[in-house]
This record gives sequence, structure tokens and C-alpha cells, in this order.
Amino acid sequence: MSHGDRFEICPRSWGVAISEAITVFRDGLAYGLSDSRFALDAGRLEITKGFKMEKDKIISEMVRLVGKENVLSSDMHLKLYEYDASLIRSKPDCIVCPTSTEQVSKVVKFAQDHKIPVIARGAGTNLSGGSVTVQGGIAIVLTRMNQILDMDIENLRVVVQPGVITLDLKNVLAKHGYLYQPDPASEKVTTIGGNFGENSGGPHCLKYGVTSNHVLGVELVLYDGQVVEVGGKALDNPGYDLMGVLGGSEGTLGIVTRAVLRIMPKAEAVKTMLCIFNSIEEGGNTVTAIIGEGIIPATLEMMDNLTIKAVEEAYHVGFPTDAAAILIIELDGLKDGMERLTERILAICKQHNVREIRVAKDQAERDKIWAGRKGAFGAVGRLRPNYLVNDGTVPRTRLPETLAKVVEIGKKYKLPIANVFHAGDGNLHPLILFDERDKDELERVHAAAMEIMKLCVDMGGTISGEHGIGVEKIKGMSFIFSARDIAAMKKVKAAFDPENLFNPGKVLPETEKAA
Amino acid sequence: MSNSTQWVSALKGIIGETNVIQDPDQLKAYAVDGLAPKAVVNPGSVEEISKLLTYAHSEKRTVVPRGNGTKMATGGIPGKIDVVLSMLRIHRITEHDIPNLSLSVEAGITLAEVQKMLAGTGKGSFLPLDPPYSDRATIGGIIAANSSGPRRYLYGSARDLLLGLKAVYPNGDIVAFGGKAVKNVSGYDMTKLMIGSWGSLGVITEITTKLLPLPEASATLLTSFEDLAKAGSMTRKILHSVLLPSAMELMDGKAASQLGESARYLVAFSLEGVREAVDRQVAEIGDIAKKEGAVDTKVLWGEEDRIFWRRVRDFAIASEASVILRSNFVISKQAEILGNYEKIAQAAGIGCAWIGHVGNGILTSYILENGAAKMGPVVDLIGKFTAEAAKHGGNLIVESCPRDLKEKVRVWGQPRSDDVVMRRLKERVDPVGVLNPGRFVGGI
Ligand SMILES: Cc1cc2nc3c(=O)[nH]c(=O)nc-3n(C[C@H](O)[C@H](O)[C@H](O)COP(=O)(O)OP(=O)(O)OC[C@H]3O[C@@H](n4cnc5c(N)ncnc54)[C@H](O)[C@@H]3O)c2cc1C
Repeated sequence: MSHGDRFEICPRSWGVAISEAITVFRDGLAYGLSDSRFALDAGRLEITKGFKMEKDKIISEMVRLVGKENVLSSDMHLKLYEYDASLIRSKPDCIVCPTSTEQVSKVVKFAQDHKIPVIARGAGTNLSGGSVTVQGGIAIVLTRMNQILDMDIENLRVVVQPGVITLDLKNVLAKHGYLYQPDPASEKVTTIGGNFGENSGGPHCLKYGVTSNHVLGVELVLYDGQVVEVGGKALDNPGYDLMGVLGGSEGTLGIVTRAVLRIMPKAEAVKTMLCIFNSIEEGGNTVTAIIGEGIIPATLEMMDNLTIKAVEEAYHVGFPTDAAAILIIELDGLKDGMERLTERILAICKQHNVREIRVAKDQAERDKIWAGRKGAFGAVGRLRPNYLVNDGTVPRTRLPETLAKVVEIGKKYKLPIANVFHAGDGNLHPLILFDERDKDELERVHAAAMEIMKLCVDMGGTISGEHGIGVEKIKGMSFIFSARDIAAMKKVKAAFDPENLFNPGKVLPETEKAA
Repeated sequence: MSNSTQWVSALKGIIGETNVIQDPDQLKAYAVDGLAPKAVVNPGSVEEISKLLTYAHSEKRTVVPRGNGTKMATGGIPGKIDVVLSMLRIHRITEHDIPNLSLSVEAGITLAEVQKMLAGTGKGSFLPLDPPYSDRATIGGIIAANSSGPRRYLYGSARDLLLGLKAVYPNGDIVAFGGKAVKNVSGYDMTKLMIGSWGSLGVITEITTKLLPLPEASATLLTSFEDLAKAGSMTRKILHSVLLPSAMELMDGKAASQLGESARYLVAFSLEGVREAVDRQVAEIGDIAKKEGAVDTKVLWGEEDRIFWRRVRDFAIASEASVILRSNFVISKQAEILGNYEKIAQAAGIGCAWIGHVGNGILTSYILENGAAKMGPVVDLIGKFTAEAAKHGGNLIVESCPRDLKEKVRVWGQPRSDDVVMRRLKERVDPVGVLNPGRFVGGI
């Protein structure tokens, strides 16, 4: 199912106007991305509301501020917006779908005046509870602000509203021969605002960097409703790098109502290789060896046997189901020297006992390989009713060791774990498969996830590479940060959001007061 | 002055007698905008820095962190300086993970020393930053100033390279952000916030960065033009092509002649990477340049290639410019803005040289004569340059100038709407105003 086919962006106005039905449909699709729904009882949070206003009053005030057509408040809607792609659930009191910065500003100002939490939401596909209204309040859904405002190709920039779908933008750019690099596997449905909120990554981030390397400016609604410009089309604006700290801040510092993105011309040549291994360790060692040789490909993606089998069953892309691991290596750039680089990579693979190497002959073969990779979560999701995705990152030299320990953790807790990962970045995604109806299993899942996080930290890495902390990993923050580190982050939070109303309860854990 | 001697002796208690400078003659060398500190301290450990800041915080003393002092002329005039904190003894290489291509170093080490070590270790790697003051600039100073150079066109700037950072907060808290993982969204990206914060939020003590393998081959292509518009059109062609130079610099004739090249306008390309790609780009960019009206092209290899770029980086020193201005704007307008700057300078009778990162929309103006002697016209010129950059989505920073001039211009450029957030941030992080008060954007 391709969005691009279904909802053509009108190139003349560079804009899209989608109806409410489509908004809901898109959201529905986002949920459908992973076949397993996460009705996790333990995840339904007890709401402690810090505000007094009645739900009905909030709704009527919202209708007054942004119009009836931009407010969703039926029970069905509240239920539809109670979750994201994590295991956490909690209903908002009201949902608004603003169509302008001015409306966002009015809603935020109102929320501030009445101490009601406001939670920005894109497609709701994040995997850490980032867009769940854990303390109730107003969900601000930005999917109706979905216009491409300015295709400034001359300056290699585009300006978009936050609700623009990542892949839709890419499809428009492709027609002009340009690229916006960040490529989360979920890009068919995710919004640029959500990508920036999580600082999302993807296969090509090994070479090109993550979302925050490509978002150069935003229009931001501050806690008091004031609208400011941060960064912009030009680089190196005077002052603090607020863009730096906003990227990945999960909607806890302000609401993005416009973003300036860096685009680049399409590379001259691309080469995609599928390397098949009989041992996952050999695959991991190959990754280390390639980087160690001083070669940084555009992508170095790996998946294990369980994932390969699931993908093959779901998509029939031609992955060998008896392989222990496959490695997808892509090179891009100038065609000159690429053959020689390919030879060097193949030689390294051979040194590590690669079973077979398939080089994609054309775009169609390339697309097939990537369809398999991008569909991996969804495919694995078909194996059991539920899954939980980990997102730890380790120094890439410690990948094989870490993987072996992840396997042990799976055994210890008697849980199947599928592995798909951005090997070049050292970013692991162990997918723990389970059935939420089995309470005992559910508990083991949480224990295993905690242990994997801890493992990654012990390996010299961190608890999240691209999916964010949200609520899901908040307990893991103490594995990496001291109370003083957290206190320093809280000062940033306080500078942007003194009353703690932007997405409260996320990212930063409660700590003992640092000295 | 007994009060002053009292707290200086407290400093000695923290840092050690021999590491505190109090001699007025020596202190002069550490003056910022003519204002000398009351003491200079040379701590030998992060713990000492922490104790120093804890003390300064409780006693409401101001502290100015300093590397090798190459960028101390940047920023607003300080209201008061009690202590200059020299980072030069905090200079260890703490971890070099060769197979992971990452490096952790302390703030006081020079970039030159780091590069030398990296080039000579294993297969050879480098930290892809090439800021000015190539020999002397310290890592801490480079990061605090977000200093960059020509090759950022391909490799990005510090925000694209750093993986983590350690710092001491104004209240003495020792903090660590990020790590050595190449992807990290755990908590706020405080590393980026510290980059370019000019010592106003914390004292950077250590950084962790990505490294790149040394390129297999490199060369420089120089193309000279009589007509600025043609030079501009050529650079835009390259920007939108599949070609990947690592640097693309546009300069005027005065700058070129300082670098030993004669041209009305010079566009210099650095080409790095696999041999085949370097060869091809030398040839192909040369051809494009000729088609676009270049009057001459020239290729530099080996030592010549290296020397050329070192001289570009260190132009500020060689030019002896009294005033240095840095403008930013959207990338397609480089040639147009340079042309307008030339006209403005000519009309004012002020001698200038210009070098710009064409692929990044950054242009540095070097005022070659005594800026203080022509105060009125220079102030006027800065205003006009700023307006020109602002017309194209940018701004202008006065990187260095005499104190008299600083009193008459906004060194951090035109105010921006997000200044309000920056002020709140500074107030939360440094409520007492310990670190570099008054010197950053909007006087924070
Ligand atoms: C099958 C599947 C595959 C995935 N693959 C990847 C992958 O490869 N790489 C990856 O990094 N992630 C991946 N994800 C996670 C997810 O898709 C990303 O985090 C995505 O960027 C979220 O975008 P969204 O529009 O759904 O945002 P949401 O989930 O709605 O929001 C994400 C966060 O951003 C905040 N936010 C949203 N909009 C704004 C705004 N305008 N202003 C301020 N804050 C805002 C929200 O409050 C929330 O904290 C995957 C998820 C699924 C289900």
C-alpha cells in the first residue's frame, strides 16, 4: 500500500488538503503498521490529573477557539487517540486538529492559563509512549497542517508544515531529482513533526546523519502561546543551538508548526548488496571489519533468521529462509571508484565466510531488498500477538558480543526475540515476541527489556538510538545519567516550559534533588 | 583590597599556589576588551574546575574560560572579569577507539596535536574540523565557539560530528551528555546545546567525536574568474550536481593575492576521497569552470594542496585584519552578496578582503585597515552588510574588532525572535551570572 499513489500531492500549489476521513484513515494505517495491537492492561495508566476543568468545558472551549470542525471528542475518537505504537495507553480529554499556527498558539495559551497538559501528535507511530496523553489533557494532532509551503530548491531547502508525511515529501522531491535523507522504516505514514520530535533515524543515517542533522529551522509555539523562529534556511544563526536541543525532545519543549529541511541532489550511483551468512556472529564481525577498514557505506543493515523467515513469509522478497543472518550493504555517491570499493567489501565478507552475495542489478531488485527491510517490524508482528521493540545502541565494535548476550536473555526469560538492526550505527532492535494475555509472559517481557537496556549501557552504549524515551524507557535513564545530568536537562525543560505542561511525564525521570 | 586578596587566596587553596597568576603584568595578556582579570587559574583536573565554579557561584564571582585565546575578541564587552580559567592543563586523550572510529579528548588539547596523533595511528584517521588558527586553537575553544572551516561543506560542523561531551555547570556540577554511540536519543541532546554556547552555559572539559578514515587521495582545483556573476553561476552548478567537493570557497582578488594567487575572483575546490573520484572531479569541475567563463584553472597536489588550505584557514592572522565580520544567508546568494559588499566597501573607501564557504552560505569580511580610525564609516558599513545578509535570511556577527567599535555595534547581529528563549535558558542554567556574563547574544 503506497500512500504516494493514493494521495497525490498537488505539485502546482505544493499543498495537500486532506479531509478528516483521510486523517483518521492515515492514523488508522499507522496503527495497522504493526499487526499486533498492544492492549496492555499494565500499560493503561492511572491518570492523575493536575487540572480542574471538566472535560466538557475543555471541549466547548476548544470548539470556541478552533471551530467545531477541528475538534474531535466522541468516545470513539478519544479511544482512537489513546495510544501510539508502544504498549502505553491513556485517553486525552479532547483532541484538536488545528489548521494554522495561530490556532495552535491559541490552544497552547488556553492550556497554559488553565494548567492543562498539551501533547503534540503526528501519526502516533512512535514506539515509546511519546504521544500518549499520560496525564490527560489536550492532544494537538498536527496532521491537518500538511502543506509543503516552499520548495526552495535553489537554496537546497524545503519548508513544510509539521503534518506533512515523510514519504509524500520525498516523492515530490524525487520528481525534481532531490532527496530528504532521513528514512525511518515507517516513513509511509510518519509526519515530519513526529520525526523531529523523536529525532528518527533509518538505514541511510549511517552516512547522512539522523533527522536533527537535516532539520535546520522551525517555527515554534512556546508555552505562553508566543510564536518564535528558531534556526532557519541559513546556517550558523547567532545564539544557542536551540534546534539541537529541540530535535528529539518529544514535544516536551514546544510545538513545531513549521520546519525548514535540508535537501540534497540525488547521488550519481547506488550499489546495493545482500550478503548472506550462516552465522550471525560472522555477520556482526563483517560490519566491524568494514568500518575498521575505513569504509563507511550508506547503509549496513542486518537481520537474523527469525526476522528473515517472517519477512519472507509476509512479502516474498527472496531472502533465504535458512540463513542465520543477512547484511544489506549499500554504497552511494560518485560512480568512480565504486567498483573497487565494492571489491574491497566483498573481500571482507569472504574473509568472514559469507555464504552468498547478491548484488542488485537494477532499481526493481533494490526496491525488493528494501521492501523486505522496511517491512521487518510488521512482518515480525505477525508471529505473535504482540511485540516490544528495544532500541539500545552500542559501539559498533561490540555488536557481536551484545547480540550473543541478547540471545541469552531471550533464553533466560523463555521469550522469542527477533533481531533487526542498523548494524553500522550499532543500533539494535531486538523485538521481543509475546502474548499480552499471558500475564506471566508480560512480566518477563518487561524484565527482559530492562535487561537488554542495561546490557547496552554496560557495553558502552545507550538505551535509545532513535525511538525515544517517552514513558517506556524513562526508568532506564538512570542507567546512563546521574541526577546532576538530569538536573541539567530539567533546566532546559524549565526554560521552555516552566509549568511542565508540554507532554508531561515524558523523557525526564523524577530524581532526588541534585546537590 | 583585602576582600580581593581573600578570595584569591581561596582560589590558591583550590587550584594550588603555583597555578594561580596574580602578577598584574602577566594578567594583562589575559585581558578581554582591555579588561584584565584579577586572577588567572590553571587547574589540573575537572574536580578542581568544579570546586572553582562552586566557589565562584557562592561568592558571585565571574569566570571566563579560555583555551589558547584565539577567539577572545569575539563577544560583547564584559562587565567584569574576576577569574580567567585556563584549560591548557586539561589536555589528555582519554580514549581512542580505532575500530569504532571514535575519540574522546579533553578540552585543552590543540586540534593540531589531535590530528597529528590520529594521522599517525593505525591506518590513519582525522577529525573532520578545519577551523581557523590551525596551530593554536584548542578543542574546547573550537567547540565552544562552534568554529568551522572550508571542509564543513562535505563533513558538516561540530553539531554533526560530536557524540558526547562533559562539562562543569556554573554551579560546579560535573555533567556528562551523550556518549560514544553514534546514534543517541536518550534525553535531550545537550551536546548540541553546549556547542557554540561560548562558555556561557558551562565549561566544556571533554568531548567525544566521530572520526573519519584519512582520504585515499586529495587535490585542490583553483579556478579564476574576471566576472563575479560567472563565478557565482559556476558554484551554483556544482551545488546542484552529483559532484562532491569537500570544500568550495569563493574569494575576491585581495584575498587571493594574500594567498599567492592572482585572480579577480577565485573559486577554490578541495577534492578528497577515492583516487578515481578525485581525478574525475579535478577534470570535470575544471571543464565546468571553463564553460562557465573561468579565465584560468590550476591544480595543486601534495604539500601544495595542504599549504593552500592552511593559509585559507589562517587568513585572519596573515591579513592582520582589524575587524572581522561573518555573515550567513541562504546558499544561492553568495556571489550576489559579495558583489554588493564590494560596492558598499568601495563607496565607503574601506579596504576589505573576502573569503566565503559557498556551499554553506557563509561569507567572512576582513577589514584590512585600522577600523578604529574610521569608526563612523565602519559602523555604517557593518549596518549595511547586516541588512544585506538579513535580506537573504541571514545575519552578521562581528567576530573581532577594537573595543571602541564594539560599543557602537551589535556584535551578535540583529535580534531574533528566539532570543527570549535563550535568555530564559541562561537564567535557569546560570542564575548568578558566573560564566562569561554579558558577552553572548543579547548581552546574556
Ligand atoms: C512499524 C514501525 C517502524 C518504525 N521504524 C522506525 C525507524 O526505522 N526509525 C525510527 O527512528 N523510528 C521508527 N519507528 C518509530 C516512529 O515511526 C517514529 O518515531 C516516527 O518519527 C514518529 O512519527 P509520528 O508522526 O508518528 O509522530 P508521533 O508518534 O505522533 O509523535 C512522536 C513524538 O513527537 C512529538 N511531536 C509530534 N509532532 C510534533 C510537533 N509538531 N511539534 C512538537 N512535537 C511533536 C510527539 O509529542 C511525540 O513525543 C517505527 C514505528 C513503527 C510502528
